[in-house]
Amino acid sequence: MPGLKKTLSIFSFSETQLRFIKYCLVFFTPVVIAYFILEMLVLNIPINYKVFGNYLNAHSQEIEIMGLGSSQMKCGFNPAFSDGIAINLSSTSQHHNEDFHILKGTKDRLPKLKYVLMEVSYNHLELPHHSSDYWKNTIYLNYYGVNAFERTTWYKDRLVYLSNAPFYSYKLMEYYVYGSSTVKLNEYGFDTNNYNGDFKKLNYDESKIATHKFKIITREDLDIFKKNTAYLFEMLDYAKAENLKVVVCALPLYKTYLKERNPNIVRRRDSVLRVIKNKYNNVILLNEEADTLNFTVNDFLNENHLNPDGAKKFTALVNSKLDSLN
Amino acid sequence: MLFSSFSFGLFLPITLLLYWAVGFKRIKIQNAILLLASYFFYGLWDWRFLFLIVASSLVDYFAALAINSTEEKGRQKLFLYSSIVWNLGVLFLFKYYNFFIDEFAILFNMQQGEYAFSTLNLILPVGLSFYTFQTMSYTIDVYKNRITPTRNLLNFLCFVSFFPQLVAGPIEKASDLLPQFNKKRAFVTEEVKEGLRQILWGLFKKMVIADNAARIVNTVYASPEDYGSLSLLYASVLFFFQIYGDFSGYSDIAIGTAKLFGFKLSKNFNIPYLAKSVTDFWQRWHITLTRWFNDYVYFPLIQKNLRSSTRRNAAIFLTMGLIGLWHGADWTFIIFGAFQGVLIILERTPLTKNRKSTLFHKSPIPRFLLPIFTFLIITASSILFRSQNIGEAGIVFKRIFSFIPSETLGSLINIKFLIFVFIMMASEIITRSKDFPLTQIDRYINRPTRWIIYYIFIFLIFRYAGPKEDFIYFQF
Repeated sequence: MPGLKKTLSIFSFSETQLRFIKYCLVFFTPVVIAYFILEMLVLNIPINYKVFGNYLNAHSQEIEIMGLGSSQMKCGFNPAFSDGIAINLSSTSQHHNEDFHILKGTKDRLPKLKYVLMEVSYNHLELPHHSSDYWKNTIYLNYYGVNAFERTTWYKDRLVYLSNAPFYSYKLMEYYVYGSSTVKLNEYGFDTNNYNGDFKKLNYDESKIATHKFKIITREDLDIFKKNTAYLFEMLDYAKAENLKVVVCALPLYKTYLKERNPNIVRRRDSVLRVIKNKYNNVILLNEEADTLNFTVNDFLNENHLNPDGAKKFTALVNSKLDSLN
Repeated sequence: MLFSSFSFGLFLPITLLLYWAVGFKRIKIQNAILLLASYFFYGLWDWRFLFLIVASSLVDYFAALAINSTEEKGRQKLFLYSSIVWNLGVLFLFKYYNFFIDEFAILFNMQQGEYAFSTLNLILPVGLSFYTFQTMSYTIDVYKNRITPTRNLLNFLCFVSFFPQLVAGPIEKASDLLPQFNKKRAFVTEEVKEGLRQILWGLFKKMVIADNAARIVNTVYASPEDYGSLSLLYASVLFFFQIYGDFSGYSDIAIGTAKLFGFKLSKNFNIPYLAKSVTDFWQRWHITLTRWFNDYVYFPLIQKNLRSSTRRNAAIFLTMGLIGLWHGADWTFIIFGAFQGVLIILERTPLTKNRKSTLFHKSPIPRFLLPIFTFLIITASSILFRSQNIGEAGIVFKRIFSFIPSETLGSLINIKFLIFVFIMMASEIITRSKDFPLTQIDRYINRPTRWIIYYIFIFLIFRYAGPKEDFIYFQF
């Protein structure tokens, strides 16, 4: 065959094909190099997950309390004020399925773990779980050593930048270009400078806050509710089997948010909390959602998240709840 | 394995290397490699689906041979109907059975357990509607003597399972695709480069346009009762671009991938947002599906009485209703299709005795406004397409026309994303006479500039890709 390179292997390329392969290699090499530079730069950014991971590794033999949940728990529980040695592995948008993977994936490494804080906030039970391809699974894998992919992982699952390019591009710019990050992480990965929310912008002025528009989900979903409730019970069964005590938390909400909640969602969620209370002797409830006495406007970052001052108060409440268990 | 996934990025070059380096000597080896790769690609979703695709392929392969082996019309019909019953039966079982059972129960106000047939817990095999239609058309074409059946089983299995177009089309006619498996393929660098450029363009549409649009659309449609009129309208317009970017992007990747292997697939989209009427829209949107329904449903229905407008309108209505149903087992899709049918009938109905006095030929709307008008109609009807059920569609329509203030609209608008949509539209409109905007770019742009353009697209895809979303049409 004309133009054919002779070779002993079963692979035989024509001159044209070889030329094309070289052309591709020359074209794609800079792309691969550029990507790995980005990956290195991202791994070098001091994000909270990295601090969580380091703390988890360094104190695995001592940790007694683990916080799990979404951004509400992330902002609301500061392990620095906890009476016991604690870690808060909550993060924005983290749902029960991720919580459960983290709990199961770290339990064996934490011989002293006794208490788990689980979040069941206003519409937690009517929000769908993330798929097993959720981008944060890469974080859990890289920093916590937890496989939440529900399958065997491979090299690509560890590529951090690729897992959420827009998020990490923003982080890259913030850290390397603008140096604009106001985040101040303590040794537990909690942001002690997390005050820059809507309420600060409104000078904590209650009259302005009263007219401030915010996003609240009011959609009911009975199918998701049933699924999520069953999943929550599965988590609690697991905790019971592992002799863990669970504090099911509903974190404080500001009064304007409380008013806008869908009463059907609240009613269903509360009925689940009642069932949990009666069914599990290893579970106690800490429902601070409507606690407008302890938590005032100055404790909030926005309508549904606490700022570090509010977190200090909430952590104190967690402490007293845990005391009552002992 | 999604086309936009990292694993496909590994699968494709490995398959290509094997295909061109090992299989170049004989077509048989090349086809065998393609078949194995296709089954591997498909089996990654769920290996059990492989049994179904092999069974479907074998039924149609033998049905076509059986039709060809006899002159007796009755026996030919028997074999044809066997194939059709099998194909439609499989499709009905996996896709429509539960829907009809549920609707039957609702119709007779029955509770679960009161009726003999219960719903089945079946997963819809990916791409079932696509390959079923492709194989079914093969048998019909053999029966109609449009093509002669192939005796080469390997080639036929390849034709059914060719991985670039297996799970979401383009739906190819046997007369177009099957002969390509019999011909020797040559490695033409220009064709391969063209394929890679089309893949790049498709990835941009899928990952930057569709996936980013999906983020906004999914947020709004997750709780439409929480959004005002303009937010819902905006999300509905974006849904058009989501589904367009998603499906036409997929088609570009499929066509581009096929080119890498030396195959030519049919064009599936032709800038549908420039359509001047609903009829025109369906000639530009999912072209291969419309062509299929034209060839195998619409024309057979009207061929006996071409002049009867009632028959023609009924055929249009039925065809469009079926196109709607093809998309999914839900009333939203059926009404969507039927609504398209009504619009097409209205466009084609003469307003005077002159046959050309239809809205299609003589619209009262100025010509330059027609694409906008058509776009609005399609966007409105796509609310049905996007909604989970009729109730949700009703909520969306009601809220849009209630002129409810949209306080959260600002948070939904992302200027960068809108710029990308503009880039896509401008590129496609400027190069509208070509298959895709990057086509034959090497004829008028030198290599360094070309590479810069490619690198920019790669950067945009990496940097601005939205959260990974399944291709919408996989579910059909």
